[in-house]
Amino acid sequence: MVRLKSRYLLCEVCVSDRSNLLLLDDRAIYTATKAAVARAHGDYGAALSSLGFSVKYLNAHTGIVFLRCRKSHYRLIWSALPFIASLENRGQRVPCFLNCLHVGGTIRTCQKYLVRYNTQQLHRMLPFCQSEAERSEIRKSLLSCTLKKEADDVDEEEDD
Amino acid sequence: MYPELAKCPRSLLVCEKSNFEHEKSRHDTHVSKHYFNHKVSVVIPECGALSSRLATVINNFSKYFLVKNLPVYEFLDKDFLKNVVWNGALYALSYKTSIDQDNTIALLPSSQLILSVDKDTYEQLGLEGKPSQYNHRQPMRYVVTIDLTDKSMDPEGKRYQRVLSCLKERVPLKSDFLLGRHNSGANGDRALQSLLSRYQWKEHRPVVSSHTLKDLPCPSLHALDLRGDQRSCDPHSFLEWLGAVSAGVSCDNTAASFLSTYICPEPQTLVSQALHCTVSGLLLPEDIYSLLQELRRYFDEPKFTSWLSLTVHGFMDSPVSWGDAEHGFHKGGENFYNLVLFKNQDYWLHMGTGSHDRCPP
Amino acid sequence: MRRADIKDEPATYERLVYKNTSVYHYMRISLVLENENTRLSAAQLKQLIVSGLRDLYGEVGSAFPFDLLKFDARALTGVLRVYNSGLVKLWSALTLLGSYQNERCSFRVTQVSPFLLTLSGNSRELELELD
Repeated sequence: MVRLKSRYLLCEVCVSDRSNLLLLDDRAIYTATKAAVARAHGDYGAALSSLGFSVKYLNAHTGIVFLRCRKSHYRLIWSALPFIASLENRGQRVPCFLNCLHVGGTIRTCQKYLVRYNTQQLHRMLPFCQSEAERSEIRKSLLSCTLKKEADDVDEEEDD
Repeated sequence: MYPELAKCPRSLLVCEKSNFEHEKSRHDTHVSKHYFNHKVSVVIPECGALSSRLATVINNFSKYFLVKNLPVYEFLDKDFLKNVVWNGALYALSYKTSIDQDNTIALLPSSQLILSVDKDTYEQLGLEGKPSQYNHRQPMRYVVTIDLTDKSMDPEGKRYQRVLSCLKERVPLKSDFLLGRHNSGANGDRALQSLLSRYQWKEHRPVVSSHTLKDLPCPSLHALDLRGDQRSCDPHSFLEWLGAVSAGVSCDNTAASFLSTYICPEPQTLVSQALHCTVSGLLLPEDIYSLLQELRRYFDEPKFTSWLSLTVHGFMDSPVSWGDAEHGFHKGGENFYNLVLFKNQDYWLHMGTGSHDRCPP
Repeated sequence: MRRADIKDEPATYERLVYKNTSVYHYMRISLVLENENTRLSAAQLKQLIVSGLRDLYGEVGSAFPFDLLKFDARALTGVLRVYNSGLVKLWSALTLLGSYQNERCSFRVTQVSPFLLTLSGNSRELELELD
């Protein structure tokens, strides 16, 4: 069987004020990426990369984005991502940059990577806790949060 | 970023180094086998005007004829075959026919008639041929080669009648032709005149133009260093420079210039003047050979320059390049050779072709 | 080869075959403008081509050098030199270029060759009169 292979770009939206993340939606990311590709690669690149390009998933709380594109042209989008300086939604501009964490062939590998990445980040950040109370607070919320997140991800896999 | 956009058609450049006095030197065959020449240009550094001997040779280039709407079967006329074609001195090439879209016809001095035709014509024609080497997937072009000296082409023979009827009745191929003929007897002249008298024709002379270039940066060459490692520049840059001279491209640019960064290749010298002389038309290999012999004698008297160059461009739309090697157009249809002559009778020969051509001999 | 080895003796036979070693391609182009009285300089022409490239291939895709070797401002013809890898991009950008300062225009590519030398010997330009 022949199938069209895709690439999934796992990106993180980095903003200075995290509350701004809630303003974002799929469309804002989509238009900003397309505009960046058009600027860096012109009409030809924009047309090539628009085939099969979509924003698969956006978590407005954590700022995690999944972009999906054709395997043959993912470099076009990949190379244009650093040129995104702001996202715009309903007239509001959010200055930000997109940090591409991982490029994977399936959503599943990207998800695995994301879990590993988040664990790493957690380990990195835990030592910054000020007091024992804070630490246990985090642990508690984490436990409740993980379960919910797992459930989310299962849903998503079925979607795909 | 786009690997599919970075590809470009193939090109070939063959460089040879030898001496005119070597027994095995093949310069004469290379010149005489390149049948259809469109333009010759000579570049002589440190020279102000053509010497009278050179001018005589150039002005003696054979005249050629342009004939309108000449049917191909006229070449098979018995009298014409006997007196002109078989004497092996007739060059005929269809004029203003593009080898990549029209039917192109050539008659070589080796008495081979070559019809490079598209698929439809080939199928109607009913003559045996081969699909062109440079077809893309499906053959859309065929090459029919008829050897007129072959026994089966005897005017009484069956095959002769068949070829004649194909060209006369099935598909009356006709085209404008350029005819060139190296002198060979009165009978030939008569036969040729009787052919011409039936059609519209005009005699043309090769067009000569020459001009002197002043203060020209000029690459210095050394006969033994063909590759361009030490004391010469490499063949591609040399040919580029020659091209720049004949196209009138200026060499005084800096690396930061917006428009062009082309400069004369190193090692270079500045020559106070250089002669650039071109001849164009249908030029016969015999004439080019006599020009070459005259240029070899240029160094008999002491001269300032250590080299001079002779460039010969072939017709882009000729169905053959060297000998009977098939030639195609693709993107440029280039087939040319360039001779660099040195003081001590050494020479360099550069032969270049584009993508639809076999490697030069 | 060391310099001392080169002497003035007759050259021995040597044959080199270069395949695809020409780094450049050369193009002869001409610009056709709607209004025949419009004049433009060499720098303006190059800027026009660069902007056409940028439209089609963007800032990254059009970042390759090419040279305008020669330009005839009266006939609006020129000779371009481009690296092999940029040939297809340049050619396609020229084809799709359609306007100069809000005026319709088009580029005609007359000849393309890996040798600059052949641009001066175009047999398709041989014009012969019958009368």
